[in-house]
Amino acid sequence: MGNKITINPVTRLEGHGKIEVFLNDKGDVEDAYFQVTELRGFERFCIGRPAEEMPRIVPNICGVCPTPHNMASTKALDLIYGVAPTPTAKLVRRLQYAANFIEDHYIHFFFLGGPDFVVGPNASPATRNILGVIDKVGLDIAKKVIDVRARTRDIIRLIASKPPHPEGGLPGGVPRGIKEEERKTIIETADFSVEFAQFALKLFKDAVLGNKTYLDLILSEPYNLKTYYMGLVDDYNKQNYYEGMLRVVDPNGKEVAFFHPRDYTEYIGEWVEPWTYIRLTHLRKLGWKGLIEGNDTSLYRVGPLARYNVADGMATPLAQKEYEYMVSVLGKPAHHTLAYHWARLIEALQAAEDMQKIANDPLLTSKDIRNMNFQFTGKGIGCVEACRGTLIHHYETDDKGMITKVNLIVATQHNAAPISLSVKKAAQAFIKGGEVKEGMLNMAEMAFRAYDPCLGCATHNLPGTMPLVVNIRNHQGRVLETLTRDA
Amino acid sequence: MAQQHRTLILGLGNPILGDDGVGIAIAREIKKRRPADPATDVIEASLAGRFLLDLITGYQTVIVADAIMTDEKAEAGTVYELSVDDLGAVVNPYASHALDLRTTVELGRKLGYDMPQMIRIYAVEIKENTVFREGLSPEIEVTVLPVAQKIMQDLGKSVIRDQ
Repeated sequence: MGNKITINPVTRLEGHGKIEVFLNDKGDVEDAYFQVTELRGFERFCIGRPAEEMPRIVPNICGVCPTPHNMASTKALDLIYGVAPTPTAKLVRRLQYAANFIEDHYIHFFFLGGPDFVVGPNASPATRNILGVIDKVGLDIAKKVIDVRARTRDIIRLIASKPPHPEGGLPGGVPRGIKEEERKTIIETADFSVEFAQFALKLFKDAVLGNKTYLDLILSEPYNLKTYYMGLVDDYNKQNYYEGMLRVVDPNGKEVAFFHPRDYTEYIGEWVEPWTYIRLTHLRKLGWKGLIEGNDTSLYRVGPLARYNVADGMATPLAQKEYEYMVSVLGKPAHHTLAYHWARLIEALQAAEDMQKIANDPLLTSKDIRNMNFQFTGKGIGCVEACRGTLIHHYETDDKGMITKVNLIVATQHNAAPISLSVKKAAQAFIKGGEVKEGMLNMAEMAFRAYDPCLGCATHNLPGTMPLVVNIRNHQGRVLETLTRDA
Repeated sequence: MAQQHRTLILGLGNPILGDDGVGIAIAREIKKRRPADPATDVIEASLAGRFLLDLITGYQTVIVADAIMTDEKAEAGTVYELSVDDLGAVVNPYASHALDLRTTVELGRKLGYDMPQMIRIYAVEIKENTVFREGLSPEIEVTVLPVAQKIMQDLGKSVIRDQ
């Protein structure tokens, strides 16, 4: 057995992630494993409960991304009740979902990606944080970030009562429609969101793409990972976050699968490895081939970069132009892990444009918000693109509508194996002959942030800071050195 | 509206992850026992990171009740009184889930938001929060009422009725 390096949060509240890096006898990186704490018993917790409770239960799975869970659950409920939402109900749901995308994506870019790219990957940890971003971009811009998320969250609150943990979720509809007098504010928010999305992309181009060092980092081999990709597309193979068909492309960009989410078990395999509680997903028809990249892999990625790779383009005009520019710089498929950040900003623009379109749709304020022509089926598989990637909720019930089976596949599950590979590549660049060069933590963290994995989804905030710790162990497992970062 | 009130009692945690929900239970206990008080809001939230900014802005005083896991030797049910300063320095989190309360508070201050002048945290040591279940373990359950009472005493409102 070689040496082992552990990167582990000192405390685990609201983040249970750990990276184990194994060195070979020469002291070079052999493997890296991304691990999260297992949350157990969710299916047992749900069994016997009425299916209609699920959209109110599942937002509690995650304290950071509850809206996608709520939406996937609601869509599964549609299918259990055999009913499609009315056109107005669908518009309201899409409005809620677009608001969620805008809010989440900006927070990610400015709070997480921003410190690395706007402040700089080599800046002092004391400034490489959101406060450093504010110093760099200015208070007015920072306030706009907060303003845009406050406005979009107001829309979620309007529709679903509580923005963090939506209470809505009815089969065939929505619990509340939009009143005509509310339209004006929604249009203003949509317009503001489009304007801000364009600003954010300009900032990215100026601060990141305009800086050769940063661009080189994006294009560098440690952050390049050749995998398959999966994501929802619409009837025209354009990006869609609410519905569509799942499309899979290979590492060369060629479509290899195109299927309805209800058939996910035919295409997505779940594999158990002894080093992680996560059931690792892979392309079932290729079989589990382990943690490898390239043409021989059966691993795929989800999330913004994956959606960029699987879709033929964006569904809205301004986002399409930005997409075309990204293609001109990175090509397709793009395997650059750090380009998740760029793709994320383009998605925020599509969501904002989509919100604009919905806000101006005459049907939005119709009172026809519920279809109760139920044709009970007892089975529902709801699928959405969560901000972090494809999310699938699969429920089955008895003839009284009580839950008998639950299976969830979340974005971090799809990405877990690729995250391990990304960390391995980053570690390989910084660990040679048993020597850990300075910057190793930065590299691993930057790979993490690009995916923004959900880590177990407990909802604590205490005790607060979660510095990463690197334990350098010899081949007997003894800790030789501990590296930790204090802000 | 939050801005009309001066004090927020914020119960945090996940009520379907067993003892993780102790903060929620404390908030519910206070809600159940305190008389109507327009100057104090009691909110339950299963939230993390940035979402707290929306909740705490505009309050002069915020009292947080939450679960905590410090180290393996700590006894379940131990109650800690903490300030935001005890939570360490501002960080650049490696994921959205790791955005902490301290950084959130500093962010609000930097943006010029009306942030609380005082934040006190009551944290109850728990041992397990990875199994979906409702309800608290006995050793955690017994902390709920005392912590609720302490919070109300902090506010100078010792109005909790005996059961």
